[in-house]
Amino acid sequence: MTPVLEIRGYTLDYALPKGAFRALDDVSLAIARGEVLGLVGESGSGKTSLAWAVMRHLPMNAREAGGAIRLAGDDLRGRSEAEMESIRGRRVGMVFQDPSTSLNPTLTLGEQLAEVLVRHRGLTRRQAWEEGTSMLGHVGLKLPAEMMRRYPHEASGGEKQRVVIATAFACQPELILFDEPTTALDVITARQILDLFARLQQETAVASLYISHDLAVVGGVACRVAVIHRGRIVEEGEVRRVFAAPRDDYTRRLIAAVPRPDRRLASPAPADEAAPPVVEAQAITVEYGRPSLLADLLGRRRRFVAARDLDLAVRPGEILGVVGESGSGKSTLAKALTGLNRFAGEIRFAGRRLTGARDMDRLYRRDVQIVFQHPDSSLNPRQRVAEILSRPLKLYGAAAAREIPGRVAELLEQVRLPADFARRYPHQLSGGEKQRVAIARAFASHPKLVICDEVTSSLDVSVQAAVIELLLDLQRRYGTAYLFITHDLNLIRQIAHRIAVMHRGELVELSTVDEIAHGPKHAYTRALIDAVPAPVG
Amino acid sequence: MSLTFLLRRGGLMVYTLAVVSLVVFGITQVLPADAAVMMLGENATPEALAAVRERLGLDQPVIVQYGRWLAGVLRGDFGFSLRTGQKVAPVMLEALGRSLLLAALSIGLMLLIAVPLGIVAAVRRGRLADLVVSLMSYVGVSLPEFVTATLAVLLLADWLQLLPATGYVPPTEDPVRGLKHLVLPVLTVSVILVAHVSRMVRSELVDVLHADYIRAARLKGLDARTVLFKHALRNALLPAITIVALDVGYLLGGIIVVEEIFALPGVGRQLIVAIQNRDLPAIQAGALIMAATYSAVNFLADIAYAALDKRIQYE
Repeated sequence: MTPVLEIRGYTLDYALPKGAFRALDDVSLAIARGEVLGLVGESGSGKTSLAWAVMRHLPMNAREAGGAIRLAGDDLRGRSEAEMESIRGRRVGMVFQDPSTSLNPTLTLGEQLAEVLVRHRGLTRRQAWEEGTSMLGHVGLKLPAEMMRRYPHEASGGEKQRVVIATAFACQPELILFDEPTTALDVITARQILDLFARLQQETAVASLYISHDLAVVGGVACRVAVIHRGRIVEEGEVRRVFAAPRDDYTRRLIAAVPRPDRRLASPAPADEAAPPVVEAQAITVEYGRPSLLADLLGRRRRFVAARDLDLAVRPGEILGVVGESGSGKSTLAKALTGLNRFAGEIRFAGRRLTGARDMDRLYRRDVQIVFQHPDSSLNPRQRVAEILSRPLKLYGAAAAREIPGRVAELLEQVRLPADFARRYPHQLSGGEKQRVAIARAFASHPKLVICDEVTSSLDVSVQAAVIELLLDLQRRYGTAYLFITHDLNLIRQIAHRIAVMHRGELVELSTVDEIAHGPKHAYTRALIDAVPAPVG
Repeated sequence: MSLTFLLRRGGLMVYTLAVVSLVVFGITQVLPADAAVMMLGENATPEALAAVRERLGLDQPVIVQYGRWLAGVLRGDFGFSLRTGQKVAPVMLEALGRSLLLAALSIGLMLLIAVPLGIVAAVRRGRLADLVVSLMSYVGVSLPEFVTATLAVLLLADWLQLLPATGYVPPTEDPVRGLKHLVLPVLTVSVILVAHVSRMVRSELVDVLHADYIRAARLKGLDARTVLFKHALRNALLPAITIVALDVGYLLGGIIVVEEIFALPGVGRQLIVAIQNRDLPAIQAGALIMAATYSAVNFLADIAYAALDKRIQYE
């Protein structure tokens, strides 16, 4: 039987000022009807370029250097743009990464679904609207008729992704490309979308190409998996086989880098539980939104409570994980602890009570440092690394002026960067290297507590593994405590001693890792753990 | 859009105008002009001057004068012109009508030209059409209106003799002649606006065409035309509303010049005549009316934006 999608020896270059860049190199793969092929790779590996190539929607500077892309036998490379317009959406559907940017903000959800039915199935607008409504019901949206009339900003991320999926399935295509469809979603929402995908896949027997950087997700949805690295498919095979016994070296490293809760990385918790905490938060509450004069006059006060009555003590040398979905208040807590947010309640530190940013003096700042999620925005692009690292040294008087160059070199060595990086600007570094500089900056003052706010979320899995290893090494060396904020439950179960679970601004559970593993107390924690895709193999 | 938003936005406008009224009144106070001398001439007796000052209330404290003036303004009474002795308000409002006609026609013409130009430049980005539009825009932006006006008069009125160079005939009296008199002023005002707005439409549209949802629309199989007009244009034109409203500020300034060049008796020309004659009530009225127009247009633009873009929720 002819496969639905067959790619043979496909090679793609991008013409760049520096010369040609090979994005895809002799790629071959095939997907049969009813089959899900997972395509796994890190950023820049070429996985998305492959999707554009299949869709015949390549950037202007793309140069195809050979190969064939066949949809049910006919080569798409020979098709004209007009022919492709009638193939896209009808015979090949696509689901995108972020539903909040892939939907037009000024058109209703219904309009964006119905227009595909009008375009490809020749329905009238009224018929398309009716059909669309029933489709939204089919993808599990309650009140589909109302959802049709809503604008994207009036729906949640999960609801929007369901609309995008309904649109992709609308014309019963032979092939659907999924480009990281759950990456932008919260854990529990992502789980529901994956369940929906599995159901629709079963019902329609569509051929699916499922692109993702997340091996655990791919392991859960795909039958076969292809691993792509620098434009080449380095390994392909049945999911269980590839994950259990990878043949390629890169695949092995990739799989080894995936966080697995059963493989502990951190050393045991510090024995002394009675030691006074480094920092203790007491009844911290943060509200957003400034009260407006008019709202006051009209007697309507709407303030959003981002964190409510948080009690939390970080012990010396421990790694305290904070997990929760986006908007649960994790980062709000970090901002309160560093004085970036106004808060009610108090922070206890070294026998003192701090009630706001004004109380946080140099002593507190020296001992409590923070590393942010995006090194791009937390490192000043106009300063060289040497300058970035010497500022905390001067500020906290950690080194005399003439010792500073030497200390900068030491700091770089600590985070395993070459000493000559001191002369570089942040834009000359990779994402992982930038985050190492941010970590070095935090450690410059020998802090007792470092707050890590999603420090690995924007990094590829292999880079993440290296950064985590570095953080654990520093923790062992200096006995620094971490408040480690993340949405990645598998990762935090690997490294934390205790885990705080946040939900809608409240701390719903604070337990040791063992307690979480052997039966979480709170129902929400249980839901969260159940929703996380388990690593395969 | 909530009632609160309307109230807040309206309140802001009232506040702005209150401040403007203070400034306008303050400026006319420090101008070296004595209303009584203006009325009676240099040779008037001190007694006569004192009598006039008392009649006009000029001997009262400034704050009382401001209060009286403001009370009048709120009733639509800007006092009497020192130059003609007539009531200021009707004259100014009539002039405002002519200026608004000029402004409305200019904006209309500008939109007719600028939006298609911007679209062409964005869609054919980096090609010849884009280059031509960009060049024209730069030329248009860099030429001051008195140069554009002079060129237009030379070409269309002097050499080709197609249109009258100056003057004004109310279109209500004689539509053909009235419109002929408006063509040159409207052209002059539009040129700079076209240049500005077409560049803006181009850059907004270029941004939007790179958005994920545009790619998503293409990959749903929609043709380029539908994607452009249904998905992209609306999002690209929304910011244009705000820019056009801000351009009204320029328009009011530019109109003063253009009205003077073409001897079109609009509010700008009235203001110039008032300033030349130190006709304080007329200056106050002209300045305040211009400020009110500007505020009102921006108020309407904000409301239009909020109504068109459902995401905007000004509290």
